Amino acid sequence: MTTKNVIVTATLLLLISLWMVPSASAQNQLHRQIDSLFVMASSGEVRYRDMVEPAIEEIAAIGAGAMPILIDKFASKSPRERHTVRKIIQKIGVPAIPDLVAALTHPDWHIVNRCCWVLADVGDSTVVKPLQKVSDHERWMVRSQAVTALGKIGVGGAEQTVRQALDDSVGLVRKSAAVAIGRLGFAEAIPELVHVLGDDFYGARMASMEALLKLDSSVVITTLADSLNSDNDFVGDLGCRVLGELASDEAMDLLLAQTESVDPDRRAHAAVALFEADPEDMCGWRDAIIEAETDRLTRLKIESVLRSTE
Amino acid sequence: MLLQNRPVDYFVAMMKLTAILLISLVPLCLSAQETEEPVSPEMFGVGHLTEYLGLKPDDISFRSDYTEPDSFRLAVVADLMHQPLGMIDYVASLKGAYVSTQPEILASVLFQDLKVQRQKTRSRPYQPDVGQLQRRYSLYFNEPGFNQFLSRVAQYVDIILPRSVDKSLALLSPEQRKFLRQEFVELVTVPDNQESLSVEAIDSIENVEEGYTEKFVSFGTLYDKDPTISAGIDCLRELNTELGHLIRQLKSGQIKAGKIMNGAVYLPEGTDRNSYLGVQNGWKIGGTGNDYYSGQYKFIFDFGGDDIYDLSYDMDNPQSTIIIDLSGNDSYRGQTDGLFGSGFLSIGILLDFEGDDIYRAGSFSLGSGFFGFGILYDAAGNDFYQGDNHTEGAGTFGLGLLIDEGGHDIYDASLNAQGCGSVEGAGVLYDRKGSDCYRVGGKYNDILRYEEHDLSFSQGFAAGMSPYMSGGIGALFDIEGNDAYISDIFAQGSSYWWSLGILYDSAGNDNYQSYQYAQGCGTHMTLGTLIDDYGNDVYYGKGLMQGCGHDYACGLILDRHGDDVYTASDLSQAGGSANGVGILIDNDGDDRYFINDPNMTHGYGNPRRDYGSIGLFIDLGGDDLTNGLGQNNYYWRTGSKWGGGVDIELIPPEETEDGDDN
Repeated sequence: MTTKNVIVTATLLLLISLWMVPSASAQNQLHRQIDSLFVMASSGEVRYRDMVEPAIEEIAAIGAGAMPILIDKFASKSPRERHTVRKIIQKIGVPAIPDLVAALTHPDWHIVNRCCWVLADVGDSTVVKPLQKVSDHERWMVRSQAVTALGKIGVGGAEQTVRQALDDSVGLVRKSAAVAIGRLGFAEAIPELVHVLGDDFYGARMASMEALLKLDSSVVITTLADSLNSDNDFVGDLGCRVLGELASDEAMDLLLAQTESVDPDRRAHAAVALFEADPEDMCGWRDAIIEAETDRLTRLKIESVLRSTE
Repeated sequence: MLLQNRPVDYFVAMMKLTAILLISLVPLCLSAQETEEPVSPEMFGVGHLTEYLGLKPDDISFRSDYTEPDSFRLAVVADLMHQPLGMIDYVASLKGAYVSTQPEILASVLFQDLKVQRQKTRSRPYQPDVGQLQRRYSLYFNEPGFNQFLSRVAQYVDIILPRSVDKSLALLSPEQRKFLRQEFVELVTVPDNQESLSVEAIDSIENVEEGYTEKFVSFGTLYDKDPTISAGIDCLRELNTELGHLIRQLKSGQIKAGKIMNGAVYLPEGTDRNSYLGVQNGWKIGGTGNDYYSGQYKFIFDFGGDDIYDLSYDMDNPQSTIIIDLSGNDSYRGQTDGLFGSGFLSIGILLDFEGDDIYRAGSFSLGSGFFGFGILYDAAGNDFYQGDNHTEGAGTFGLGLLIDEGGHDIYDASLNAQGCGSVEGAGVLYDRKGSDCYRVGGKYNDILRYEEHDLSFSQGFAAGMSPYMSGGIGALFDIEGNDAYISDIFAQGSSYWWSLGILYDSAGNDNYQSYQYAQGCGTHMTLGTLIDDYGNDVYYGKGLMQGCGHDYACGLILDRHGDDVYTASDLSQAGGSANGVGILIDNDGDDRYFINDPNMTHGYGNPRRDYGSIGLFIDLGGDDLTNGLGQNNYYWRTGSKWGGGVDIELIPPEETEDGDDN
């Protein structure tokens, strides 16, 4: 290396460092500013409640520049701090997306999980693919959060990923999948949703029931008709609830048939659904059903519906 | 031989044998069916209501991995989180574990329940070698039985207890041991001036405490509580047996206290008192007169009289202490923290057998096990207990027991008291007889929620240190009498973070007053239950109580008998929140249920994480009145996610004796 080259290199290095020092200094200053505001933004004490919102607003106003620091704060073990981060990112909105997507490959799964959580609020069609990539993450919480986000974002392209999650080994992921299917309006998954009515996890069962109410009712009723007498009582019992909510003629006929079940619990589910769907007894079934009921507590369940509508 | 020669006979014989076996098995199978345990009313109620709601009892279950499982989680808490309804049987078993005059049995059961999930085996106390067992003292007293008792005490006080404590701490460095005495103490202490601190100062304290917690987690598993607790229990068992014998002899007149005291040998000046049994340094034997004790002792034995104990304890140099007082109305006045049945990195045993006693102490006192084993056992009398923090049955990495067998007692404390369990700890207050009053609070403000309310953390409360360390078991048992329970925030069968809080009251007309997070409440991955068997009881409070579970937690209130009155404002009386489960079960009696917000009570579950919580309101008998959603002979499903109730006659009127008008 000649003397000239050395001088040139040294000059270049000097210029770069002179350029970087203020930049690093500015970064440090930003860090300090956000840290200071964050103490107030995440304060839980009653006395300092008035400081919280202004501090959140001030950090959000910084915009995407605050994202690397906020994503680091997602590693916090304090739920209050994590909720504060989420609130701030919600306010930043779309400009936050690139940093959040980049963090989906973060080695700390907690951060991945929390990025999915907030992407559900600010994400758009550009995040579907990245979310699909983490939907088979080894941690069930990430899988659940990714599927939830896909459902909440609600754009096409994620249906099959969500459908597969109905078979997940963890109930909470199956729940998220059922909810997402409802949000996506993915009618092809109705048979699977009916199956999930019998899920071992109540969150999945109930979510499935609600999702079915959002989908094509004629397909739902047809599918339920084939499944009401399933060995899994929950499928029929919750199926009655769905039919009662849909309250079409076909649904009411199916319920009426179930009021003659040998199982008193099923009779109760069917009768309660019928009476709730037809509180005025327009169809004139009420007296006959009550009169035919021989089980004391089943009859009381049915009569309770009448009293509740009085 | 005959059968061997004739295969056909052999075959016939075997057939006959098989037939006989089968015939004999049939009645066995039938009797097994007949003797199948009947379903309790409360379990029938839960099964019945859940079915109506499209749920099942097994839905009341929580995963172990909502957060990373830590190394301090108790196996029994983990098991009960998997099936929270098991709390009902667990409470019954713990109640039944107490045998009158034998506190060591309950202590042993609790020791078993302090097994941490990661533990494969439990460590034993220090085992003295032959030389240590054969250590000889010169005799000071002339009663052989008493000397034998003192010899046994000496083995424990001088050898087994301190060395078992050392064994528990063996893997810790001197700095780490100091950390337990200082920084860790701060983790279970609330600054009493925090309401005057700035937001930055509070944040700074929180950061420091988080740092302490993280530091402890890095070495906490090196501490082994087992040798300390089991040594304390062994000591209690042996001394209790010997004491029973001694007390019987004293009562029968076979031996006389005065004769023992007067018959002591004369020790000339300059004698090495440490070589004489009963007068070693730190030992004191008191007669039947009114004695005054001050300073610090290892062992005090007092035959009777109205005594005053003005004692102190050096928290920087922990030592095990045994105090035995046979009778008299005594006054225990702590001059420092760490007194009167307190195991503060040590073992503390206080046994008081008679009299109306007054116990006044500071923190880490009155049946406190802090990295130790502490028991205060009071056999009789109307007693008064007053402590500050970590007192009256409190355990952290240890076992703290306050057991009172009789009398109308008053318990007063500020925080972490009256059956409070923290990490790897169990704190239990067990009161057998008398109408008692339990009061907690008034000192440590709840700055997070209310400026005008105080933290209690008591009366059957347990907590972990979220999210680093799971918590323990806190339980208050009261068997007889009309009792009053007064607390504020977090109390009366409640808990926080992978813990179990229990308040059980067997009989009497009881009054439960609290403000929030109480009376069968669990908040954040945890379990809390209040069970009251008999009496016309009153439950009063504001919210998150009377069967409330918040955030993957279960809160259960079960009242089996009596005409009860429940009053609460909101998110109570069977309220599930943030995927928690709240259950109220009242099996019998004409009850009154008053609430302020019908939208968050009586079978309410709120949605969180895109699914619901569970609220179950179950009344199985009586003529009830409510301003909420229920009615007599009625089922309801609330519009919430998910919840509802039943108010039915479990046994129809026509099937009861009273129901037959003829």
